[in-house]
Amino acid sequence: MTTPSEFPNEAPVMAEAAPRVERSRARPVASWREHHGWSAAASLRRLMSRPVGTLLTVAVMALALALPLTFYLLLGNVQKLGDVLGQNQTVSMFLQPSQSGTAVDLLATKLRERADIATVSVKTPQQGMDELAKMQGFSGALHMLDNNPLPYAIEVLPKPGLNADDVARLVTDLRGMQGVDLVQDSGTWRQRLDALLGVGNRAVLVLAVLLALAVLLVVGNTVRVDIASRSEEIGVLMLVGASRAFVRRPYLYAGIWYGLFSGALAAGVAMLVEIALAEPVTRLSHVYDGKLQVGALPVWVLGAVPLVAALLGWLGARLVSAWQLRKAS
Amino acid sequence: MIRFDQVSKRYEGGHEALSQLSFHVAPGEMAFVTGHSGAGKSTLLKLLGLIERPSHGLITLDGQSLSKVGRGGIPKLRRRIGMVFQDHRLLMDRTVFANVELPLVIGGIAPVERGRRVRAALEKVGLLAYERQLPATLSTGEQQRVGIARAIVAKPTLLIADEPTGNLDPQLAVEIMSLFAEFQQVGTTVLVASHDLPLIKRMRKRVVVLDHGRLVADVAAQEVL
Repeated sequence: MTTPSEFPNEAPVMAEAAPRVERSRARPVASWREHHGWSAAASLRRLMSRPVGTLLTVAVMALALALPLTFYLLLGNVQKLGDVLGQNQTVSMFLQPSQSGTAVDLLATKLRERADIATVSVKTPQQGMDELAKMQGFSGALHMLDNNPLPYAIEVLPKPGLNADDVARLVTDLRGMQGVDLVQDSGTWRQRLDALLGVGNRAVLVLAVLLALAVLLVVGNTVRVDIASRSEEIGVLMLVGASRAFVRRPYLYAGIWYGLFSGALAAGVAMLVEIALAEPVTRLSHVYDGKLQVGALPVWVLGAVPLVAALLGWLGARLVSAWQLRKAS
Repeated sequence: MIRFDQVSKRYEGGHEALSQLSFHVAPGEMAFVTGHSGAGKSTLLKLLGLIERPSHGLITLDGQSLSKVGRGGIPKLRRRIGMVFQDHRLLMDRTVFANVELPLVIGGIAPVERGRRVRAALEKVGLLAYERQLPATLSTGEQQRVGIARAIVAKPTLLIADEPTGNLDPQLAVEIMSLFAEFQQVGTTVLVASHDLPLIKRMRKRVVVLDHGRLVADVAAQEVL
């Protein structure tokens, strides 16, 4: 140890408390920034000091976040598939047997003039009979017929981009036309699919809320255990003048770190699912003339996941630390 | 600096640790508080650090009544006081430097200034060479000196120590007490609770003697034999 005479500057080191207080008051923004920087770094060091525990917590949270993301991705792809299949949605008009070829041509011309119809193709009774004859098991039965019972048929392909309501309106119009016996809309399945997708979307939303709660609980419990194991340190900090906010801040940052890391990992898992889906979707795409592409999560969603998770982590840490620190101090 | 006016402290359960205690410590003075175990020495220091509140009476520090300090004001008050404990209360997972730095971080001191002052404090207690070590690698006496460096680094106007030499050998105890005396010489008010009478006599400072929470003697420095 040394004697006072060896320290010409010892007075500023040991006395003059007032200038110190003035200095910290004079630079509140810098002081605030330094406090936050210190807390963020301290909490990060703390997480890194127990990598296995941190990794497990992050992995659990990431899986909880990745589940709704993955379902969202799958639903998006089913929706896309529905859109592609919807492009082949045809409406078949079966005309009354009394309709002549000229009347059918007139009707077809009228239909081609409509803005909501892409293509119109007329099938004569003979063409219908030929198609039936090609189908297995029908050829023998058709020979037994004296004459062709099939009517003229018109196949209408609605304009791409029409929604379900527009198509329904078109079908109603077609049913009301003169000479039309029966109209069959192959788009009914699409309405069912849309309804199912609606249920799926709602289920994903509910799942996302529940799993967000799970993330809150995981962070909250981790912070609770952390605070409980550091009650001695908290006591020391308070004895040397730390405010409750100062003591609490590293735990809030811990929540943010947990959220950020798990959010980033969840986004990574979702991207892996995308990659896993790419190959079968490409195969499926060939069946539909390459119209089907794998639906990837938008970049903004992938970017938002870590941020939302960080917010959840902060919230979980905030809720628990307020209560736990009151107990610890 | 410090004024106790008819201060009593009764804990839950009825034990009266301090009774009608009145005394005054002038700015820049060093005083020992002594007495047998349970005399109320630690309670007195706890009241000063607002770890406990008095049941009756008034305590003032630099003219400020401690009873008027609310929960939000406690951290600010504690930043004006350096506290040294018998069990050091160091953070064992942080380096010596990080331990000493804590009050400055809390006080919002800039990093460069922090580094300068931590090193000055460590140099003062003779531990500059150990700044990167963890406290667990140091001896008990060295750990106590780290605790002292932490207590003085934020330039407190008051330094209080509760049995700071309780676990130390006599030679080391003298060194630690001499260190406190040095702080007093540069204007810091120092109040040390100790039951080590031979050591207290050797220091020749004012001695406040407690017995069952009551002041039984207040011996001026020049009267200490």
